[in-house]
Formats: sequence, C-alpha cells, structure tokens
Amino acid sequence: MITVSNVSKHFGDFTALDDVSLEVPDGSLTALLGPSGSGKSTLLRIIGGLEWADAGSVVIHGDDVTNVPPQKRGIGFVFQHYAAFKHMTVRDNVGFGLKIRKTPKDKIDARVDELLNIVGLGGFAKRYPSQLSGGQRQRMALARALAVEPKVLLLDEPFGALDAKVRTELREWLRRLHDEVHVTTLLVTHDQEEALSIADNIAVMDNAHIEQVGGPRELYDRPANPFVMGFLGPVAKVDGTLVRPHDIALRTQPDAGTREAQVMRVSHLGFEVRVDLELSDGKPVFAQLTRYEAAQLELAGGDIVWLALTGDSDARLVSEDDRLDAVA
Amino acid sequence: MKRSRLLPAVTWIYVVWSLLPVLIAIRFAFNEGRSRTTGQGFSLRWFWTDPTLSVRNDPTLASALEHSLVLAGLSMVIAVPLGTALALGLQRWRGRGSGVSNVLMLLPLVTPELVFAVGLFLLFTSAFGFIGLGTTAQVIGHVTFSLSWVVLIVRGRLVMIGRDVEEAAADLGAPPWHVLRRVLLPLLGPALAASLLTVFALSIDDFVVAQYMASGADTTTVPMRIYASARAAPTPALNALVTIMLVLSLAALALAWVLGRGRPVEPRA
Repeated sequence: MITVSNVSKHFGDFTALDDVSLEVPDGSLTALLGPSGSGKSTLLRIIGGLEWADAGSVVIHGDDVTNVPPQKRGIGFVFQHYAAFKHMTVRDNVGFGLKIRKTPKDKIDARVDELLNIVGLGGFAKRYPSQLSGGQRQRMALARALAVEPKVLLLDEPFGALDAKVRTELREWLRRLHDEVHVTTLLVTHDQEEALSIADNIAVMDNAHIEQVGGPRELYDRPANPFVMGFLGPVAKVDGTLVRPHDIALRTQPDAGTREAQVMRVSHLGFEVRVDLELSDGKPVFAQLTRYEAAQLELAGGDIVWLALTGDSDARLVSEDDRLDAVA
Repeated sequence: MKRSRLLPAVTWIYVVWSLLPVLIAIRFAFNEGRSRTTGQGFSLRWFWTDPTLSVRNDPTLASALEHSLVLAGLSMVIAVPLGTALALGLQRWRGRGSGVSNVLMLLPLVTPELVFAVGLFLLFTSAFGFIGLGTTAQVIGHVTFSLSWVVLIVRGRLVMIGRDVEEAAADLGAPPWHVLRRVLLPLLGPALAASLLTVFALSIDDFVVAQYMASGADTTTVPMRIYASARAAPTPALNALVTIMLVLSLAALALAWVLGRGRPVEPRA
C-alpha cells in the first residue's frame, strides 16, 4: 500500500499540490486522472522520489520514504517518452537495475529473457532502442522497471506519446499484465477513457487537489461534484440539473415533469444518435439515444419533443453556476 | 520569373577570391625551388627532405609546430572535462543567479580577443604575477576562451538527452556517479568528441592570446612563427607550415561537425 498524507508542493508561486492525501491499495491498478497542471504528475514524482514534497509524508509498504532518495525506494518508474538508454541494447536496458544490484550475470540473463517474453519482445534482446517502435520501446521500459521487482510501479502518462491505435492495444495489454504480475501500480493519465477502462480505482485531481476517489462505476454513477462529472464524460444541463445525455429520454407526448424542447439536429454516429435540442428558454442541450430508440421516435429537425430525466438520480447534480458549492 | 544568374555568379566569384590566396600559398609549399612566387615543379622538400630548411629539419619551425600541438593538447584535456562539469552543473542549477550565469558564460564568445588577451597579460604580470608569462599562461588563456564553447556544445546535447534517463537510472537504483559514468557520459560521447576537436582547432588557430602570453622562443607557436617570418626572408617551408596548420584545423573542424551533428548515438545494425 502507498499512503500519501497531507502532501503539499509549490514551484515558486505555483501550487502544484495542496494538502493532498491518498491511499493506493496493495495490488491495485490505480489511476491519477486529471487535466494537465492538476498536480497528478507531481504527486507521482513525489512518490517516486524524483521531487521532494514541501510538507507531508509518503509511506510505501509501511516504510516512511519521505526523505529516502529514489535509489532506495524500490520503485519502478515508466516515463511518457520512454527514457530509453539509447546507447545500450534492449538486453542491457532491461538488465540495468539488476547489474547495479550486482546480480550474477547468468541470473540477469535469465530474468531479462523471462521479462522480454512477458512483454512480447522475445527476439529483440540485441536490438537498440532506435530500432524499436514507440510501443515496443515503452514495453521495454516497462520490462526494465519490472526487472528489479519493485514494490510499486509508477507510470507517468505511459501511452501519451503513442498513436491512438497502439495506445488502446497497449492499455489492454497493461491490464492483462497487471492481472498476471499484481504489482501495486499507480498510473497518471489525462484520458478518462483510459482510466475507466483499465483502473480498479481512480483518483480524480484538479487544481492541486484530489476531488474524488473511487471505482470507475462509482465515479461515473455518483460523481461528487460537477468537475468530476464533467471530466468523466459528457454532461447536459437541464434547468440547473447536470445530467448525462444518455439519461435524457425523449417523448412525443407531454407528461408529468417533462420539459418541452425543439429538435435542432439529429446526428447518426453509429450505435449512438446525438440529438441537439433547444429548450423553450432558448438554452441548448443534447441527448444521446441508441439507434433503436431513435428509430422508434423518427425524429427530424424542427420536431417538438418532451424531455424526461431517467436513470439513477445519484448520477445527477444540481448546479446553479457549474460550481461545487451548489451540490451541498 | 526568370531566375537571376547574378547571385550564383557573385557567390562563386567570392568563393574563388577568398580561397585563391590560400590555394596559392599551398601550391608554393610543394615548390621544388626556393621561390614563393614562381612555380618550380613539385616536391616535398620544404616539408621533409631539405636537410636544414624543411619544417622537419629547421629547429625553429619544428619547435613551433611541437609547441602548438602541446598547447592544443593541454587545452583539450583541461577545457573539456572542466566545461563538461560546468555544463552539468549549470543544467541543474535552478535558483537565483542561474540566468545571469548563463549569460555570463557566453560572454567570452563575443569578447574581442585582443581585449581578452590584454586583460590576461595585465593579470599575469601583476596580480597573478606568480604565474607569469609562458606556457602555463598560454594554456590558461586557451582554456579560458574555449571553455564557453565546450559548455555550449555539451549543454545542447544535455537538453536533447533530457532529464528522464537520469531519473530512470536513479529509480532503478543507480547512484549519481554511476548515472554519470554508465548513462550520461556515453550519451554525451558525440558532444565530448566535438568539444575536444573544437578546442583543438581554436587553440591551433589562436595568435593573439598565445602572442601576449608568450615568454620567449620556446613558447613560440606556429601562427606566431608565421607572423614573425612572413616579412623577413621566408622560404616555402613557411608555406609548408601554413599548409600543415590548415589541414590540421580543417580536419578537426570537419570531424567535430560530423560527430556533433546529433546523429543517433547508437550504432545501426
């Protein structure tokens, strides 16, 4: 378990972390999710010993490492831009940490071979990083981090430099790898889909604070505030209520509690159909329907429809001006 | 629009004009006769074979060449490690004064050489009189003005390498000296080679500082020797010496350019 308690960090006048506390459960894959500048990378780097906290403490598996240099933390760190040792072969990159620990050469070779097989780089031991694709380099970096059997694995936007297709593949691959290796993993990302699809546990950060911690469903279904709700998915606003666009049902007849609106545009996006509407007070709002729902309604631009809010009421927030204070 | 032929023509005239004196000087280095104005066949007489007047056998020429190479060698082995250490330090320094020091570091690049040389002369003949003039002063002078170049070249490479690799090595358990030896220095290889050769070329070329810091005949460098004898009764041996100088500095600069282009560090299979 990683326990971060009351950590603060300033860079000059900029507050990167303001009294942040977080617990990362043993064996979990936890994501730190937030926009750029929210402090998520700084928190990860403080846990990894690459930055020093101005205040607060970091405890890894019961050891207070707040003042321990990175070399002695037993950490595997993976960087966005791979941080490959370009002058070494893949084998020497992966074996680097073991060589420093003065592991006998035959043991290093055996362990490197095992790891290269796990990350799917079996035949690449003699290559140089420049001869690998971005995705392969990042898998090499992961093998290098895992080679020293770290207590925790820290990943800083590990797929951020890869193109969309490779990113999705590698994300699923990481999830499967984690199911095999079970090392406590903390991953920084700004991509909510990435966090929702692979993490057991997500800490949403904004503006040097952690806004909410929970599982993917919990965060999506019961967001603590408008920021979390908006960061995890699209939000529509109907008369001061923030609601997921797929929790808006469209009716062709008025009913108790429905709200009149005019259809402006219907966009067919495959399975999803997006309906842009204008409420009677002139405010725009949009609804997501499935193609089957849309087919039954036979909507066209100019139609008058009635909105009803469906789904779990916990998934909605009341907001006067998009601020947190309206929630209480 | 029709492309003007004037521009390439002017360029070529300029190139030929600027190289012509050099080419003529080289031509007469290989002259068979004594003349430095009329072509008299080809030989290596003035480089090697003439028993008293060739670069090899004229003690004043040979010792100038040797002294130039000694100065260049000492400047290289002092300026490059020192400059590399400075570059690594400046790269990490984030506090107050780091900006000012960065600008000051570049000042020697734009200081007129003569001003610099006169300043050093006054320093070594008064406040630092214990150093005095001579080889030591010449080396200090050369190291001082070439240091900025080393810092510039090495820092450029450090920026390219990035801090990630050092941090990755640290998290893998590597102590700082290990990071330097196993990761940073190998990645800095091309920049270090480029720095060595740049310092060599700067030192070999320098006239002003070497002249001001010189203390006598045994501290005469090739440029000083050439300057001193050009107006006396020179033989083509002087041209031969110029040719050697030219080849050495061009080779150093060409090699520095090739090594410092920022090619990938790793060999390609």
